Amino acid sequence: MDRRKFLGVGIAAFAAIIAPTTSLKAMDFRAEKPKAWDAVDSATAIKELYGSAALTETADIKLKAPKLAENGGSIPINIKSKMDLESIAVFQDANPRSTVCVFTVPKNGIINYDLRMKMRKTSKVRVVAKGRDGVLYTVNQNVEVSIGGCGG
Amino acid sequence: MRAKAKLKKGVVSVKAMFKNPMAGQEEAEKKKIKPQFITQIIAESAGAVVYEVTTGGFVSKNPLFKFQFKAADAKKGDKFEIATTTNDGKTVTKKVKIK
Repeated sequence: MDRRKFLGVGIAAFAAIIAPTTSLKAMDFRAEKPKAWDAVDSATAIKELYGSAALTETADIKLKAPKLAENGGSIPINIKSKMDLESIAVFQDANPRSTVCVFTVPKNGIINYDLRMKMRKTSKVRVVAKGRDGVLYTVNQNVEVSIGGCGG
Repeated sequence: MRAKAKLKKGVVSVKAMFKNPMAGQEEAEKKKIKPQFITQIIAESAGAVVYEVTTGGFVSKNPLFKFQFKAADAKKGDKFEIATTTNDGKTVTKKVKIK
């Protein structure tokens, strides 16, 4: 078997493993959706990450963020939900690029995530989650920043 | 990386703090350092991924992450793994004891 063929077989086998994206195995969103990480505004980032499906506002995902953040360098965010979700992404429009982070929710996992993020200025923090039923859910909150973080 | 894990009623609550400047492209230019940030954090317990997040330069410096996972048959003293990958492709794995 020559090298070219061997490589091809390897890639095909790799693709076969990756294709049925089971929640058991890790997924690198940076490798899978590189464009989403370069998007400047949240609308584009959401489109790149999840496609152009309609967003459904929901009250079942609880986003806890301060209304007024004194330090934009470290804004505590809490996401809680009892829904059966596949992945959750956090976006904002204050920084040069929009995507902050993407969580992959394991099956039967508990959704209670805390993180700290940076924001340069006042903006909406938008959480978009994809349910296992394929529907995109969203929730957002405005966060006022008095001193910008992110090196600014 | 420093991490604490507590077991209560079959649920493990984890607090993990990572030491990293989390400087994206623009911030690195301003500070005149190389872009340096964590790209992925994965926690694995009993062979299954229990927590996974892909991050970027807009997560705060030395970020603190909290999460919980179900571990019905876990005991105190058990260990699970947290692996972090940085933007230069390096992966660091640390074992965390459940208290």
